[in-house]
Amino acid sequence: MQHMAQLSPGREQSQGAAVEVRGLGHIYAGRDGAVPALADIDLTVPAGRFVVIVGPSGCGKTSLLMMLAGLRTQTSGTILVDGRPIATPDPSRVGVVFQEASLYPWLTAVENVEFPLVLKNAPRDERRARAEAMLNLVGLSGFGGRYPHELSGGMKQRVSIARGLVQDPPVLLMDEPFAALDEQTRMTMGHELLRIWSQTSKTVVFITHSLTEAVYLADEVIVMSARPGRILDRVPIDLPRPRTYQMMATDVFGALRERVWHQIRDVP
Amino acid sequence: MSTAAVILIRIGLLAVFLGAWEFLPRTGIVNPMLLPPLSLVIDTLFDILGRGDFREAMLVTTAEVLVAFIIAVPLGGAIGVLAAEHAYFGAIFRPMLFYVFSIPKSIFLPMFILAFGIGFEQKVAYATFSTIFIVIMSASAAVESVKADYVLVAQSYGATRAQILRRIYIPSMMPILLETLRISMIFNFTGVMIAEMYASRTGVGHMIANWGENFMLPQLFAGVVVLAVAAMSFNELVRYMEARCSTWRS
Repeated sequence: MQHMAQLSPGREQSQGAAVEVRGLGHIYAGRDGAVPALADIDLTVPAGRFVVIVGPSGCGKTSLLMMLAGLRTQTSGTILVDGRPIATPDPSRVGVVFQEASLYPWLTAVENVEFPLVLKNAPRDERRARAEAMLNLVGLSGFGGRYPHELSGGMKQRVSIARGLVQDPPVLLMDEPFAALDEQTRMTMGHELLRIWSQTSKTVVFITHSLTEAVYLADEVIVMSARPGRILDRVPIDLPRPRTYQMMATDVFGALRERVWHQIRDVP
Repeated sequence: MSTAAVILIRIGLLAVFLGAWEFLPRTGIVNPMLLPPLSLVIDTLFDILGRGDFREAMLVTTAEVLVAFIIAVPLGGAIGVLAAEHAYFGAIFRPMLFYVFSIPKSIFLPMFILAFGIGFEQKVAYATFSTIFIVIMSASAAVESVKADYVLVAQSYGATRAQILRRIYIPSMMPILLETLRISMIFNFTGVMIAEMYASRTGVGHMIANWGENFMLPQLFAGVVVLAVAAMSFNELVRYMEARCSTWRS
């Protein structure tokens, strides 16, 4: 914290951290009284960083993400996104990509992507152009007229990413976006996500169960413990970018993956 | 099998059915007193369609069906949505609604006659009563069919309650709502017919019951044809709308 004290808070918030979590705790009312879900979470994600959170099921990863999206309120502690608290969802600051394909089946791909802009009553031409540009970015130009059931699993998640980016938020939150995909598609999508990320310079907070995916994608892997979720380790991933599939076979990659695995395995 | 073959076979079966209707009574294999030949029924059909009393009966029946439908569907829909969305209302009334839904509605008909007489109001009240429960059940099911994920996504993009209702609930529920329209019309039409046939002074149901009692089989069949065509037309109209919605239904 000392080095932070040397900077003015304003500068730290506006230029340093896209996401700033301090002393966050969460307790929810369970059947047998209060259940601590998250405890002592401190997390600073500098702008433009790719941070991956891993941890056992039920460790509160998704809860944390919901709080960063303004969809849930924490019991204690503060969250600053782009320098300001986020009490309610703010799509101009945060885009969310959900588990599975949470696309609306009654809307076409391009209509799904422009949905957040429809909510803002953006002019039709403007939002359509923006949505088409996003589909283009995720490699789906020409597929805008398709309905979700006419798209493959990977394509659906591309549409979801396009929807998350359509309002150009500085922060993209992703909750196990590729969990439902087969291994091959998953690898391809991870690679594609890195391409999109490098082209848009977003800050990404990404949740996954796959350690390989975590190490492959991340600048930093945050390892969380079982309930109540605490941060056990922060593993910087110093592999060069752009990442390549070949890196997965290297000793460095294996050692990083092993370090993360140890932390999770030791959790009772 | 190709679509063309299916359609050809359907047409063939229809021709066999209509042919049998004509020739079985004509050849005496089936008693023509019980099943008048098709041609005679069609002649009678045009005959009764030209009669003032039948036209008036059709108007009365149509009015009863429409008024009961216009009352039962929005009211049942509102109760159904409330039962699904409002925790307390649902907890209190849902079991009762389910119990009453299981009872055959026709056994209440005598009470409706005592309360409303045998006129227009009674037909509407009874048809509304016999329709509203299926609407309530279906509307509840429609609300419950809206996936929580869809709502969460909309919330994450800052949707207001009104926007969630308009952009998520209505389109999600549309297929079930259209299905509800179709099925509730079947219940509604049946309700009006039973009420008219049981005790009435007018209406197509009343005339059909009369023709049956007086052994006027050609008229009876002609009346049945008119009602069947009306019911099927409405059904197909809603099914056409459903098909337009179903581009995204997998």
